[in-house]
Amino acid sequence: MSVAKATRVGVVHHNRMKADDGYTLFAPQGTKDVYLIDIDGYVINHWRMPYIPGCHARLLPNGNLFWAGQVKGALEYGYPEEFSGLGGLVREVDWEGNVVWEAVVPMQGHDFQRRENGNVLYICFDTPGILPDDTARRVVGGRPGSEFNGQIWGDCIYEIDPSGSLIWRWLAYEHLDPEIDTMCPLENRSQWPYLNSIWICADGNLLLSTRYLNQATKIAYPSGEVIGRYGRGELAHQHDVRELANGNILAFDNGSHRHTLEPNYSRAVEIDPATDKVVWEYKSNPPSDFYSPICGGAERQENGNTVICDSVSGRIFEVTQEKEIVWEYIVPMTGFKQGSTINRIWRAHRYPTTYPGLRGKNLDPRRLPWENRIYGPDSWKRSYVFSAGS
Amino acid sequence: MTIAGAMKKGVTVHEAWRTYKGVTLLTPKEGTGAFLVDMQGRVLHQWDVGYAPASGAELLPNGNLLYSGKTTGSSGIDAGAGGGIVLELDWRGRVVWEHEDLTLHHGAFRMRSGNTLVLKRTEVPESLAEEVQGGLRESGKREDQRMWADVVHEINPRGEVVWEWVSHEHLDPTVDRICPICRRDTWGHANAVLELADGSVLVSFLKTNTLAIIDKRTQDIIWRWGDDELAHQNCPSELNNGNILVFDNGFHMRGFNFGYSRVLEIDRCNGKMVWAYTGGGGSMLHFLYSATMCSAQRLPNGNTLVCESTTGRLLEVTADGHLVWEYLNGLPAIAMEPSRAHSCMVYAAYRYGPDYSGLVGEAAGPEQKQFAPGAGELLRGPRRKEDDKEEAIRSRLEALGY
Repeated sequence: MSVAKATRVGVVHHNRMKADDGYTLFAPQGTKDVYLIDIDGYVINHWRMPYIPGCHARLLPNGNLFWAGQVKGALEYGYPEEFSGLGGLVREVDWEGNVVWEAVVPMQGHDFQRRENGNVLYICFDTPGILPDDTARRVVGGRPGSEFNGQIWGDCIYEIDPSGSLIWRWLAYEHLDPEIDTMCPLENRSQWPYLNSIWICADGNLLLSTRYLNQATKIAYPSGEVIGRYGRGELAHQHDVRELANGNILAFDNGSHRHTLEPNYSRAVEIDPATDKVVWEYKSNPPSDFYSPICGGAERQENGNTVICDSVSGRIFEVTQEKEIVWEYIVPMTGFKQGSTINRIWRAHRYPTTYPGLRGKNLDPRRLPWENRIYGPDSWKRSYVFSAGS
Repeated sequence: MTIAGAMKKGVTVHEAWRTYKGVTLLTPKEGTGAFLVDMQGRVLHQWDVGYAPASGAELLPNGNLLYSGKTTGSSGIDAGAGGGIVLELDWRGRVVWEHEDLTLHHGAFRMRSGNTLVLKRTEVPESLAEEVQGGLRESGKREDQRMWADVVHEINPRGEVVWEWVSHEHLDPTVDRICPICRRDTWGHANAVLELADGSVLVSFLKTNTLAIIDKRTQDIIWRWGDDELAHQNCPSELNNGNILVFDNGFHMRGFNFGYSRVLEIDRCNGKMVWAYTGGGGSMLHFLYSATMCSAQRLPNGNTLVCESTTGRLLEVTADGHLVWEYLNGLPAIAMEPSRAHSCMVYAAYRYGPDYSGLVGEAAGPEQKQFAPGAGELLRGPRRKEDDKEEAIRSRLEALGY
């Protein structure tokens, strides 16, 4: 469902009795801004960055913003368009926007995690990850002949320490099995398996979203071997795979190239890794009304609610375990893509009022009168509504 | 859409001086009939047929409604199938002709001769089914291992089958390959059939992404198009110049997980796409998208009426892609139980102008004659102050040579 038909922006629904309270962080695509809003939609902080996001930012427990920016897009490098979500620069900035730390990370893409000790884990495309010819031949799936210059680029995960030195590296092709980890037959064989999220599990191992495989893959850290495969048969080009406190896996199941003739739909799914079965899901009614073919996020809150990011519609909403929508926000900020106005965000993060990173911060919206005049509640009635097809 | 019901309903764009004025027949997916609305979106007439639709209803040149209904569920065959009855109803909703068969599916087509082309199913012989390529080879129950193919029947007004075409006798397993992520329970999976001006028959096969033209006399497939281009298309139609207009849904698109829809006009002689409408969409943009159903109709003034089914949105665009009319469906406007989907999906929509024989022809009764040219107000709506202003501006521009 395109945002084109949404006539309202900002907080369009809020059930205070059932919604969690907190602050939501997001980086509108095509803009160089990162915003933190409160539950009423007031802008509490605004960081102005040097590049558009590649792809999102997180608020660290120490109160600083950790952000990745896109220095150059895939096409500018001469790569095919499916090498999407590229970044290239990671930065830690304080509440006022001063740069505390940064690293140039060429070919970084999609997701990153920053450890407490300052190390940064990030997904990237790099030449060491290119599959050797005999491995590439064994990869099952994808459109025949669609390799990039005859090669399949395997994803890599790099870990750098605060000095920028590479201290750990994981190359997908060294650990995945082409015969088991088969890829979607409709995608291009330029990339395998296409990583778009990393999550550090409670046991220190890593949970990855391997999108073209339509599965979540768990690897051991630091050995890198595959120790778990989940969600095949249920997931369809998913994003944002996370491990929950109860040990289950939560993912944003986009629904592109789903193996069904039903109209596409997205959903947030919770999978029990012990049985590999779906134990909870949120879909809209009818399901096709909620569909984000790309990007997307799902975050479980402490009170059991789930904050879902419907990226392509520029919509963040919170649902209860009973699947009732109790908070909904349509992003009023816009960027450009291929000449059209969009209000998409790659992923949103919700931080409860008790989050350590917010301690001691000035959370008064009156600190940012201009941002609130343009994007705050007072502006919503006058907001411009994006129109399609003209 | 959002909980806040942020969807508008009704006519949201209306450039009255560029539209093709008429009435629009739409078939809501969640309804049991069809509605006729005017350019302002007001309901002028409706038929309550009593069956859920198996395809979009059409208003025939004789003034009757041709409606395909569902008497069967999906019965193990891929979602979207189901049908079982084709009816012709007069303006008052009385059934004047019907054809019932458990294997009927999707839509029917009334030929010039008065016969009707329908789609049915038959099982593919197991040895042939083995040779069919593509699709998901999943292990499963016995159900999954049967393969069904389409049969085209030409039915005369007395209900007799006067011509039959069995698709699996003519499709080629090595050429007509099933989409790699579709189930192998149907081969071809026709979703539309029509008669062309030269007497041949065109069938749209969903799972093999093909438009096929069949020579009635020899039963051969004499033209195929779409294997590399289409992605689960629907609603082909023939234009006056012989070109084929089709709605290419962009579902299960190759190389893109972010599929987008488009309306294509194809020159039959050289197989080239001579016109396309995407709403400005393309890779990563989504201004026109509906995974299933949909319709596209070229209007006499050169505009095209497009139905984006899953969002319940009808749009009329000019040849250069400018949107001049948009209607967001809210029908049927009845309360649904909480468990039922409250979608406003529209299976298909067709526009009929004031000179359409189905509205003003000899067969038209007194209720239909209200749409005659003299009764312009009913079609255009009452004259508003803005219309006078528009008229004044338009004549001024014309006088200046624009």
